[in-house]
Amino acid sequence: MKLHKKVLTHYLSCTSPVDKEGYLFKRKERNGTYQRRWFVLKANLLFYQERPADRNLLGVIVLEGCAVRRSESDGQFGFSLVFEAPGLKTYRFAATDHQTQERWVKALLSASHCYMSLLVRDLGRQYEEAKQQRGSSSVSALTPPTSSFLLSVQQPAAVVREVRSFSASSVLQASSAPSRVAARKSPKLWHRRNAHVTPLNGPAPPNGEWPLVDFNPLEDFSKLHDYYGQEVKKAREDWLRSQQAKEDDDLIDLG
Amino acid sequence: MRFNEKELVFLSRQPSEMAAEMGMRGPKKGDVIKKRLVKLVVNFLFYFRTDEEEPIGALLLEQCRVEREDRQSFSIAFLDEAERKYLFECDSKEQCEEWMDSIIKASYEFMRKNLIFYRTEIHRLTGKDPLEQYGISDETRFQVTNGLQLMSRDTSTL
Repeated sequence: MKLHKKVLTHYLSCTSPVDKEGYLFKRKERNGTYQRRWFVLKANLLFYQERPADRNLLGVIVLEGCAVRRSESDGQFGFSLVFEAPGLKTYRFAATDHQTQERWVKALLSASHCYMSLLVRDLGRQYEEAKQQRGSSSVSALTPPTSSFLLSVQQPAAVVREVRSFSASSVLQASSAPSRVAARKSPKLWHRRNAHVTPLNGPAPPNGEWPLVDFNPLEDFSKLHDYYGQEVKKAREDWLRSQQAKEDDDLIDLG
Repeated sequence: MRFNEKELVFLSRQPSEMAAEMGMRGPKKGDVIKKRLVKLVVNFLFYFRTDEEEPIGALLLEQCRVEREDRQSFSIAFLDEAERKYLFECDSKEQCEEWMDSIIKASYEFMRKNLIFYRTEIHRLTGKDPLEQYGISDETRFQVTNGLQLMSRDTSTL
């Protein structure tokens, strides 16, 4: 099968945001040795090359239908991308320290198109609810990317079914009336914490730390991240453990 | 450049609501229209010879321009080469419009923009960050400033 590579390389070099980049060790399939490579994560694509400045791309991994797993068996700070179907690969990586490993695992967990698609639907629903509660008197300085997208909830979606790794939540699968899909919550999909509950290990962050339109969120997100970091990690581990115990297959396998 | 071909072929075989036979023509001079099974899965457009299991090719639907060519056909242009277009001939005006709409909305960047819009608006309306409950507020890919840059430049996939 031909993959039109110029389209990919163009996308890599264009101005849309890079989601994560950095050095990692990648395991060679043939002999099991690890090679240091520069990785660039953009959308659901993981590109790699020898060094950041290289024009020559060594390869790309399309991140759909794979689970992300921490794998200490590959040595310290190891993790892998497991494509879960007969005959498909497992890509193994190793970071140089725990923080790098965690950050990559977290970034890769939310990298797939399916994940983004479900998240957007969920937020779209929350937005509609929030608007209804506030009434139409709220005026925003922002305009949505395409108004037709927001008005019509019935987008023809490429909902992928049946195969475990691709299964969307049962909410999306079952519905033949798209407007109902958007209105229903998916209770199983992500580990949900009640947003109204103050974290146990400290006070709620003050209002000034929320992302404002003209505010640099990076400074404060790092505070939020450190602040919630421990809880998120534990929550994720609990969730991963509960996922492994589940027999019900109609969930996205986020690893 | 290496890529995970087997995994991509596997992806192309997943059920999709957007799969149809169309006339398809490549961008090069001398390319002619051929009947292909065209299938949209995530942000890839796969095309097959009818009745073949493995696609001939895969096109990433990012940074592309989707344009109406005539009543029943549309084109996709990649890179900055507006003249190098892939042409698709549909069976009807409705099919043509449905495919154009689906391709645009399949783009990851399009979804990202919407997500950032919703995130900002929900926070403005409710005072809460909707990503907090998922523990993903700090992920680079969901950052609000990215969205603002994109929106102010109006760089949609159109």
